[in-house]
Amino acid sequence: MTDTATSTGTSTRRLSTAKAISEAIAQEMRRDDSVFVMGEDVGAYGGIFGATGDLLGEFGPERIIDTPISETAFIGAGIGAATEGMRPIVELMFVDFFGVCMDQIYNHMAKIHYESGGGVNVPMVLMASAGGGYSDAAQHSQCLWGTFAHLPGLKVVVPSNPYDAKGLMISAIRDDGPVLYLFHKGIMGLVWMAKNRRSVDVVPEEAYTVPIGEAKVAREGTDLSIVTLSLSVHHALDAAEQLAADGASAEVVDLRSLVPLDRQAVLESVGKTGRLLVVDEDYRSFGLTGEIAAIVAETDPTMLEAPVARLAVPDTPIPYARPLERFVLPTTDKIVAEAKRLLA
Amino acid sequence: MSVEVIFPVMSEEDPTGEGVIGTWFALDGETVTEGQLIAEVQVEKVSADVESPASGVLRHLVPEEGTANQGAVIGRIE
Repeated sequence: MTDTATSTGTSTRRLSTAKAISEAIAQEMRRDDSVFVMGEDVGAYGGIFGATGDLLGEFGPERIIDTPISETAFIGAGIGAATEGMRPIVELMFVDFFGVCMDQIYNHMAKIHYESGGGVNVPMVLMASAGGGYSDAAQHSQCLWGTFAHLPGLKVVVPSNPYDAKGLMISAIRDDGPVLYLFHKGIMGLVWMAKNRRSVDVVPEEAYTVPIGEAKVAREGTDLSIVTLSLSVHHALDAAEQLAADGASAEVVDLRSLVPLDRQAVLESVGKTGRLLVVDEDYRSFGLTGEIAAIVAETDPTMLEAPVARLAVPDTPIPYARPLERFVLPTTDKIVAEAKRLLA
Repeated sequence: MSVEVIFPVMSEEDPTGEGVIGTWFALDGETVTEGQLIAEVQVEKVSADVESPASGVLRHLVPEEGTANQGAVIGRIE
């Protein structure tokens, strides 16, 4: 399986990740009348992080629906519409807000297909912003993808760049089951939010898909595998450049999806390099870093030439104060230090 | 003959106030077409798209993340 873009070699048109997501939604809405968008400030404001920018003007308030601040109600409405054959894209403004609407998400969106004996599909995308690094404190800075990946019934995708963001959104909309689509605020290419240099990049103009459940090697290397996702991919690529200057060759694996998880990609990379560093901006315990380590441990621990290293947020709320927040987040400097320790 | 790319006027209260070139989507020296999205600018945390006023080769006069006043010339289409 590969992604379906055909003109990557010729197109030079660049977009931010936010505009790439918005374009994906617009193209699917033109193709399929059953696709619509619902959420807080998705219309006139264009989504708090720009994922639904410019949609209201083209599609109008019948299909781009600004909702009251009642996540249980509008996520529930989305689920109901999906079971009746619509393809809703519902935005939960911050993933941190899942607490007030989790019953709809994990007991209904995730379980209706199972509980109906496969008779009822829920072709819905639940989209939410995630991540910190900009002093928004403990209730607006979490990643939490591990929480959702833990619960059966949902696909979970987490793009790291504009190209994947567009292709994964189109795949998510076309998927016949519920997909949680999490975008880190730091990859959106927003002027007001510490724009990352890789958050604006070439995006083909035509509609294309990136397959859900397929990781991508973002940088090839031979000495060490850095397995990560989302904004941490960018930190890992920056770290790999620094390591290369010191003569170490780091491979960076961008998971792109957590559910389904591309276990084979992890094994192929670690089989080649013999060393594994897992980097995650979610909490450390009971999360992604342990899951990735377990893949290797369960399959063939003899492929490791050193113990697995994990870099994740220590089990503490995300602090507001910038020096404290930087202390808990997996930054480029920490990735370089952990990699050097693994290679020593 | 060249056509000027103007920083859009976004603020009613301060229509010549300073803003930032957030992103040049089209690179310096790139061939662009009229109406193509070429930049995103920001004034006081509000952002706006800038479309190319003509077809031709884009020249940046203000770098990405550089500042400019609303209404000022930030690029040229040659």
